[in-house]
Amino acid sequence: QIRLRCQKGIPPSLRGRAWQYLSGSKVKLEQNMGKFDELDLLTGDPKWLDVIERDLHRQFPFHEMFVSRGGHGQQDLFRVLKAYTLYRPEEGYCQAQAPIAAVLLMHMPAEQAFWCLVQICEKYLPGYYSEKLEAIQLDGQILFSLLHKVSPVAYKHLSKQKIDPILYMTEWFMCAFSRTLPWSSVLRVWDMFFCEGVKIIFRVGLVLLKHTLGSSDKLKSCQGQYETMERLRALSPKIMQEAFLVQEVIELPVTERQIEREHLIQLKKWRETHGELQCKSPPRLHGAKAISEAEPAPRKALEPVPSIIVSPGPAPVPKARKSKEKSREKGSASPANGPGAEGNGAPGTTRELLHPQVSPHHQSKESLSSRESEDTYL
Amino acid sequence: MQKHNQKEHLYKLLVIGDLGVGKTSIIKRYVHQNFSPHYRATIGVDFALKVLNWDAETVVRLQLWDIAGQERFGNMTRVYYREAMGAFIVFDVTRPATFEAVTKWKEDLDSKLILPNGKPVPAVLLANKCDQGIDVLMNNGIKMDQFCKENGFVGWFETSAKENININEASRCLVKHIIASESDPVQSVEPDIVKPHLNSSKIFSCSACFKS
Repeated sequence: QIRLRCQKGIPPSLRGRAWQYLSGSKVKLEQNMGKFDELDLLTGDPKWLDVIERDLHRQFPFHEMFVSRGGHGQQDLFRVLKAYTLYRPEEGYCQAQAPIAAVLLMHMPAEQAFWCLVQICEKYLPGYYSEKLEAIQLDGQILFSLLHKVSPVAYKHLSKQKIDPILYMTEWFMCAFSRTLPWSSVLRVWDMFFCEGVKIIFRVGLVLLKHTLGSSDKLKSCQGQYETMERLRALSPKIMQEAFLVQEVIELPVTERQIEREHLIQLKKWRETHGELQCKSPPRLHGAKAISEAEPAPRKALEPVPSIIVSPGPAPVPKARKSKEKSREKGSASPANGPGAEGNGAPGTTRELLHPQVSPHHQSKESLSSRESEDTYL
Repeated sequence: MQKHNQKEHLYKLLVIGDLGVGKTSIIKRYVHQNFSPHYRATIGVDFALKVLNWDAETVVRLQLWDIAGQERFGNMTRVYYREAMGAFIVFDVTRPATFEAVTKWKEDLDSKLILPNGKPVPAVLLANKCDQGIDVLMNNGIKMDQFCKENGFVGWFETSAKENININEASRCLVKHIIASESDPVQSVEPDIVKPHLNSSKIFSCSACFKS
């Protein structure tokens, strides 16, 4: 199953493509051929260009891709972020989009990164980056409410010190932990996030809170508000460590339904205190399956695919191959197939790599922990 | 070094201003005595702590709150400002637009935060990047004094985080005004007001006084 593969970590060589399939950005790109190039040619609103340019050298400044001023990394980052302001002029540019786009660019070319960013901003985290930042504040309240069940001790402590969730979760959530966790953990979290949606972000946040503030012992050094916030800002490397964190995230019983239910509760409260939401966002889609069901890949979009599949062997026999291809397409285009998009593109690589891993749940967990312990407890 | 009869003050200070004016750099310079052109853009809020030996009897601990400069994060500033005792408002001398935004930041601050005595929090204006040579304020000291008076700043400084110019001085100026405003007579006639930051003479629980 794809979910298990994503929980175990997508192989680095496939990661960029897998993210595109999972997020539905591949389909989106195919439906909008040439759109990015079109946006790329436009100048853009100087108001946004100025801000974007100020941020280009401030994303992962020590990553080789973004280290040089005006280098390819920074240029592509500019193109992607500028294109987004033209694609959604009413949203413009939010600073938290830059690290997201930068991580994407480390895994795919600019056009692909652009559509992937679009999917994150519209499907996974709708409203997070829009003018009023309402969605992120709501999610702060949802996170806090979920914490009540996950770690009453941490919840009580934060309540007592009157630490508003937006003091610690804004950067976590808006940047999908890309600036918080060690790099190997970032990638594992993103693998699961693309597959399972925002639930993963909530779970990571809850795991971090629980293991930082979840026992009276841990709270001894958090006597004041500032000490607590300092603790949440400089998290213990132990709890952010890839194997530990991923396992905790997988096991934490926080579901989409809980998040949705809490969303309704918090939305109601928000309306009572702040009035109607000022930025209407599309509904949040919880991961690859929901996205592919909401927007099933049209047959047409699949036709260019065979160019990737072509075996290195002799010239293809057109007729025979075509019919084979068709039957394959039928199978994978059905939304019931889960994130069908995953299988669509390059069966030669993606599928083979996904299938051998398919195994019953408990078994895969075992292999996860054993493999991880070899890899990471050094 | 710590004497037992030492007084300790804890103040929350805000550092606000437009995006890219150097708020993070000023804080890093002040707290860690260094400068790097590679600071990441601040998203949401960041914090740092500076301990000052104010005088022989007084230690001042400053919590510096580094607040994201992009306009849309202004939707969260009410939470960030809560219980602050003073503020630096920063602009970039090479970019006039960031100076124009100063009054907007000051209004935002004063509309969301007042001291227990009903007064606005002391604010110091920082004209940062003064090392860059393209100084829009050049020879405009008198005008700046006037501007500060009109807009309720207790002082202003030309600063450079890069060259470490005037940052300590600006901080001492702000702290001096905070201490003065604490001994404001208006406060002492209203003993009922909860003053969460004051007089934490208990050395062991300096942070406890921050709880309201």
